[in-house]
Amino acid sequence: PYHKNHEYYEILLEISRILNTGLDMETLSICVRLCEQGINPEALSSVIKELRKATEALKVEIHMFTHSE
Amino acid sequence: MATPDQKSPNVLLQSLCCRILGRSEADVAQQFQYAVRVIGSNFAPTVERDEFLVAEKIKKELTRQRREADAALFSELHRKLHSQGVLKNKWSILYLLLSLSEDPRRQPGKVSSYATLFAQALPRDAHSTPYYYARPQTLPLNYQERSAPSAQSSGSLGSSGISSIGVHTLNGPPPPPPSLLPGQSHPGPGTGDCLRQQLGARLAWTLTASQPSLQTTTSKGVPSATSRSVTRPRRDGDAGGAVEVTEAALVRDILYVFQGIDGRNIKMSSADNCYKVEGKANLNRSLRDTAMRLAELGWLHNKIRKYTDQRSLDRSFGLVGQSFCAALHQELKEYYRLLSVLHSQLQLEDDQGVNLGFESSLTLRRLLVWTYDPKIRLKTLAALVDHCQGRKGGELASAVHAYTKTGDPSMRSLVQHILSLVSHPVLSFLYRWIYDGELEDAHHEFFVASDPTVKTDRLWHDKYTLRTSMIPSFMTMGQCRKVLLIGKSINFLHQVCHDQTPPAKVIAVARSAEPLQDAADLFTDLENAFQGKIDAAYFETSKYLLDVLNRKYSLLDHMQAVRRYLLLGQGDFIRHLMDLLKPELARPATTLYQHNLTGILETAVRATNAQFDSPEILRRLDVRLLEVFTRECMSHYLRVFNFLWRAKRMEYILTDIRKGHMCNAKLLRNLPEFSGVLHHCHILASEMVHFIHQMQYYITFEVLECSWDELWNQVQQAQDLDHIIAAHEAFLGTVISRCLLDADSRALLNQLRAVFDQIIELQSTQDAICRAALEELQRRLQFEDKKQQREAEGQWGVTAAEEEQESQRVREFRESIPKMCSQLRILTHFYQGVVQQFLVLLTTSPDESLRFLSFRLDFNEHYRAREPRLRVSLGARGRRSSHT
Repeated sequence: PYHKNHEYYEILLEISRILNTGLDMETLSICVRLCEQGINPEALSSVIKELRKATEALKVEIHMFTHSE
Repeated sequence: MATPDQKSPNVLLQSLCCRILGRSEADVAQQFQYAVRVIGSNFAPTVERDEFLVAEKIKKELTRQRREADAALFSELHRKLHSQGVLKNKWSILYLLLSLSEDPRRQPGKVSSYATLFAQALPRDAHSTPYYYARPQTLPLNYQERSAPSAQSSGSLGSSGISSIGVHTLNGPPPPPPSLLPGQSHPGPGTGDCLRQQLGARLAWTLTASQPSLQTTTSKGVPSATSRSVTRPRRDGDAGGAVEVTEAALVRDILYVFQGIDGRNIKMSSADNCYKVEGKANLNRSLRDTAMRLAELGWLHNKIRKYTDQRSLDRSFGLVGQSFCAALHQELKEYYRLLSVLHSQLQLEDDQGVNLGFESSLTLRRLLVWTYDPKIRLKTLAALVDHCQGRKGGELASAVHAYTKTGDPSMRSLVQHILSLVSHPVLSFLYRWIYDGELEDAHHEFFVASDPTVKTDRLWHDKYTLRTSMIPSFMTMGQCRKVLLIGKSINFLHQVCHDQTPPAKVIAVARSAEPLQDAADLFTDLENAFQGKIDAAYFETSKYLLDVLNRKYSLLDHMQAVRRYLLLGQGDFIRHLMDLLKPELARPATTLYQHNLTGILETAVRATNAQFDSPEILRRLDVRLLEVFTRECMSHYLRVFNFLWRAKRMEYILTDIRKGHMCNAKLLRNLPEFSGVLHHCHILASEMVHFIHQMQYYITFEVLECSWDELWNQVQQAQDLDHIIAAHEAFLGTVISRCLLDADSRALLNQLRAVFDQIIELQSTQDAICRAALEELQRRLQFEDKKQQREAEGQWGVTAAEEEQESQRVREFRESIPKMCSQLRILTHFYQGVVQQFLVLLTTSPDESLRFLSFRLDFNEHYRAREPRLRVSLGARGRRSSHT
């Protein structure tokens, strides 16, 4: 993909790794694109956090039920 | 698929959701909607769009995590990024990365707490219903939702898992899921599905709930999550459905407690008289402590409130107390204002949309800080309340005043403010009293007490007294006395002298200033202005009173008259009186009649210079005086009068004796044998005369004149009536003690009386002797006459019988002479003994003038020769010590 070829993407990936954001490449690219389009990063970050929580919740549920046998 | 650059945000979002959640697009509908909403509502960032700021923040964060190498790396990267020109919104992405960054040191447990966070999803009532109240409402809902689909599940287990997860609040860490499900049967994946459905339903339900609450949840979730790092919750092992109390709930409770109302968790425990958190609630210790500290404020408030409520019911509390309560009320109002501000802040948070800045949340710590100042104030007020329990009136003012002596300026200003309010009634009492002489003190608060049972004749002395307990501590005793005096003078003027006109100057001074200003003056000006007022009033009133007394009632003239007549100052009058009264005095007292005496008095008055005095004074000559001088004074005067009268009488008697001597001397020269007796008489009489003279001199000049002079000076200089009275009393005191009338000189007085008795005795003896002698003389003369007559008639001059008779008589007479002589001798002896005793007592008396009297009495040491005791030489201080 186009964006991956750019150096900045790698820089950002590195920064993301340093900051331990837990974002993978795809997500990061989506985020970058969203930000470039002017989305409020505060809102975006909160969305991401919530989504993550939801994910975790689901994982917990699944974990509960699969491991309780 | 369109190129990434051309995808619309929505699409991007959707793909984002898919990626994060790891699901297909269809599943993420709800989340996507949510995301859209969030993004849509928070379009504008609230933070400064500064790339460098963010970069700095990142670096700071990294260094905080002690990853300096990474920080350096980041700087490098950033630099490189910056040199890239491609990205337009570098700030944006950096900020995003920063906010998504996680501290690798964070515990993994956090993640599960996020789960519970989201799972919980309680929509709250926007208006201050505490968290767990809402919980029951939500629980049934979930339960129904759950129970419908999950028929197979054991009902409790999975759902209990969910519900208990749901029950956990933001505070508490969730129980580790395994522990929550001991021995539950395990619904199969089907249940898992329906669980998911339930979760989804829950999510849906959450998402369809009102936006604000959701966002509040979010916002609460986020800050609380981050604030968890500050207060790490520690489970005490209680797993089963314990109710956790959120900090927000505590905050609400505390706000109620501040007003003295029991909150849900924090209730007043009357046994310990403090606020306690309900035991069931599980709080971590620091929260509990903070809550306790804040609850103290509520306790203080209760205390003050109780006091004011009690006092407002108490009728007899008086004006000062009421003003105190009013001041407290004012302070409490300020406090309530603060509380309402806090409340509104809390409301604001409830109502507000998400405010991703964390500064607005009302935590217990914030409350601590904000209520620090009010707490100090309330503490001061509560201490005041304690101190002032059961006091009223001036005492209360003193108590409050005691509290102004503190170094803390804010406390001092507070207490001073209260003090000025409290002392306002006291000051108004004061001014009323000073300027009008009126005392309207229904509750006995003022320090001047009036005794209504006292009639006007004792007005000056007894009617008004100082109630020392009510004297406020900011007024000195001298000031209080002056105040008392001023009021008394005014009343005296009004009632006794019937003088209603207040002095002009006093009026001018009176209405000049507001009493309230004086209250402030009182404390700031170091009471100079106040003192000045009191002094001015004092001077004016006293001067006026003295003027009135002198002009209208000629007080000073009266005092002079007293001296002249009572104290026998007017010589000729007294002499005349004495002459007239001589026959009267010889008679026993019971036979005297008042009207006789007054008749004689009148004659005397007329006959002497006294008629030149003003008739008014004469009218008062019988012993009635102004009530200014008390009855004790009068009795003192009477005693002194008696004493002086007696002394004078002695003098007169002796003069009479002397006169008698003169007259009879010639006559009795013919009785040669009598001359011995006569001589003896003479001697004795002269002794007595000398004695009496000395006494008189002493009394008149040393005692009376000197004291009178002093009194006169003092009266002339006196500034107020009290001074005059005091001077007068001093005068009387001196006179009495010098005249040997007081208790100490009882012995001396007795001696003196004995001397006087002797004198009288002498007089009578001498009278008898003289009479006998005269009679003898008479008869002899008669005899001679008869003899001559007979010789003239040519008879024998004297018949033998007659001669016999005559010589018989003469012999008898001669025999009686020794008797007389011995009588006289006894008398002399007695007299001298008495005088010697008197002298001894005199020399040992503590009073100097008396000692000098003894010198004078004994100037030729006549007695000293006889009395061995008197021969003791003088001690160092001129005192002869007495050997007994």
